[in-house]
Amino acid sequence: MTTSAPARELLDAPPPPARPRTRRKRPRLPYLLIAPALLALLVGMGYPLGWQVLNSFREYGLAQQFGEAPAWVGLDNYIALLTDGGFWSVLIKSVAFMAVTALATMVIGIGLAVLMKSIPSWSRIALQIAMLVAWAMPIVAQMTVWNWLIDDRNGVLNYLLSYLPGVDLVGHNWLVDPWSFFAVASIIITWASVPFVALSVYAGLTQVSEEVVEAAQLDGAGGFQMLRRVTLPILRPILVILLLLQLIWDLRVYAQIELLQGFGAAGDKYDLLGTYIYGLGIGQGHFGVAAAAAMIVLVFTIALSWFYVRELIKEDQS
Amino acid sequence: MLKMTRGAVALAAASAIVLAGCSSSGSDDEPTTDSTAGGGEPTAEAQAEDITLWLMGTDTPDTLIDYLKTEYADVNGGELTVEQIGWGDAISSLTTALPDSENTPDVTEVGNTQSATFTTVGAFMDITDMYDELGGDSLIQGFVEAGSVGEQRLALPYYFGSRMVWYRKDLYEQGGVEVPTDLAEVTEVNASLMDDGVGGFYVPGQSWRDGISWIFANGGDIATYDGSEWTATLSSPESITGMEQWQELFMETSVAQVTDDDSTAYEAINDGFLPGTPAATTMAPNWAYWSLGDIAENDEGEPVATWNEEKFGAYALPGVDGGVAPVFAGGSNIGISASTQHPEGAKTLMRIIFSEEYQTMLAENGLGPANLDYADTYAEVAAMGDIALTAAENAKLTPAAPGWAAIEEAKIMEQYFAAVAEGGDVADLAVEYDDQINALING
Repeated sequence: MTTSAPARELLDAPPPPARPRTRRKRPRLPYLLIAPALLALLVGMGYPLGWQVLNSFREYGLAQQFGEAPAWVGLDNYIALLTDGGFWSVLIKSVAFMAVTALATMVIGIGLAVLMKSIPSWSRIALQIAMLVAWAMPIVAQMTVWNWLIDDRNGVLNYLLSYLPGVDLVGHNWLVDPWSFFAVASIIITWASVPFVALSVYAGLTQVSEEVVEAAQLDGAGGFQMLRRVTLPILRPILVILLLLQLIWDLRVYAQIELLQGFGAAGDKYDLLGTYIYGLGIGQGHFGVAAAAAMIVLVFTIALSWFYVRELIKEDQS
Repeated sequence: MLKMTRGAVALAAASAIVLAGCSSSGSDDEPTTDSTAGGGEPTAEAQAEDITLWLMGTDTPDTLIDYLKTEYADVNGGELTVEQIGWGDAISSLTTALPDSENTPDVTEVGNTQSATFTTVGAFMDITDMYDELGGDSLIQGFVEAGSVGEQRLALPYYFGSRMVWYRKDLYEQGGVEVPTDLAEVTEVNASLMDDGVGGFYVPGQSWRDGISWIFANGGDIATYDGSEWTATLSSPESITGMEQWQELFMETSVAQVTDDDSTAYEAINDGFLPGTPAATTMAPNWAYWSLGDIAENDEGEPVATWNEEKFGAYALPGVDGGVAPVFAGGSNIGISASTQHPEGAKTLMRIIFSEEYQTMLAENGLGPANLDYADTYAEVAAMGDIALTAAENAKLTPAAPGWAAIEEAKIMEQYFAAVAEGGDVADLAVEYDDQINALING
């Protein structure tokens, strides 16, 4: 449809300049190939996203869910959120949580990858298998195991720590203090996402060509210098996308926080954006405000990704 | 549990489309031609209808579920599908499913304190015309009110339970204490056991459904209704007195911790998981009877509890000046979804549920029957039925306010009790949490 309209225009129009004519000859196959993916995205994402944008400008609560006509409230939902200290505190907590967790994941992941490069293959394979298992473990299973480990009364962590002289931690609940709660969550998420980073970076490391390494060695580069000046710059594209993915994943973390809360830490002081928005919408029935909150997070995520997209474009051009 | 964050909100709206493929309600099954196969008296609308019933949690025993299925097939000829929804997912599941006629359960149980949230927005069908037929004024009235809007009857009582105190006779004897006769003695008795290292009271810090009795017993309340809106009253002098008494109980006698909730109260007194001082006292609904006792493995190797009269006992929580303290009236309501496509089938199921036979079965299984005509049966046959009935007569509901479910979902009461258990100043905290409740309670 879209191609026929300009085509007719062209027939009536005076002879077009040469450039558009060549452009019209573009093959159609790529468009056909991308169509199913686009359609799936439109149906799967477009519809909910459309609803969300719409609802963020409406008063949409339980009464509306059950048939009452929603009223347009303009930016009221956004204003209510942005003037609410609670939302800002959750947002700041989430961003801090994201930064710390993603950074820790990257540092440990890169460290493990470098380690794998320099150890004998049997130990490397053992390490890889261990990491794959950790990576493949379903979230609920992970969280159950961790919950047992840190259990206040019968957990092995408290039991072992209590062997230290002067320490008696049996009965200490790690999930009461919000700082301690988020530290536990951060450790668990880091543990679960390190394998992905480590294996990806390791794969990247195997692509660093030996000639470059040899040349650098001839120029007198030591181990750390080699890593900082030669290896990491070559891996930069991989590292950038890994970091971006980690940042996005850690910003929208939901399941782990929800499950940890289920293990005894009740209330909004343990909320990050994911659980906060879920509670606001599905829990309390304030769908409009929750949609607005989700939109703010979406804008934030796009801004974050923009940095990466710009990098991509830059690399394309060079 | 849903794992989406950004899409979570839209999901509610989109569920109609997304879930259409996995609906198990069978709502688009055309009634078959052999609709008289049921053999029951054919009425004007004698069509076999497949309907779905949602029950919350696993409180309704399997034998009762089987009875409902068989009986429904006999009367209607259609098939009854029963789905159990976890209590934790109840509000979100109902919020997304009830408005959607393709996926709604035809009949659903809902927590009595959650009823108002859904009745006030029109999620339940008006069954005022059936009210007398289903039991009328014999139904437990506090629950009827919780499920009504004005004179409209929307969700009716399903079962009630009352919290009572369970104790270890052997530990009380060992510590040389008697069953307390007033509320102050409850603290004294358990503090004495605690001092001797014999046992303590399992007072979970977040267990407000148990702890609220201390507020009720002192004449306090969570919120009051002035005819147009609800106002939180945790900071009233009576509520504060009650809460301070509960704080003292926690500080001096508790073997549970601030982050514990009431979900582990059964195992605690069974000596299941506590290291150190055992639980000599705990609070739980009357149907805890089936889970308490000596633990042994059954033929399948699963641990089961066998009640031991010598070792375990129960009493109603005593009031401030003796007598019985008002406890939180646990239980459920049940109603027909306003968007059901099978109103006749749903009504048939309601008639079965409110029949003498089913009400008696509820009573026998320790679930307080909605129809108090069968309360005598309950007091006689149900374990601890007499104590449960005494407690139920003095039971109180949480505010039947539109925003109450949101307060439960936000766990505001859990946080208030946990903050008090941590040793905070009750008067200050009460004002803080009154504000939080006021922000949500009127919907």
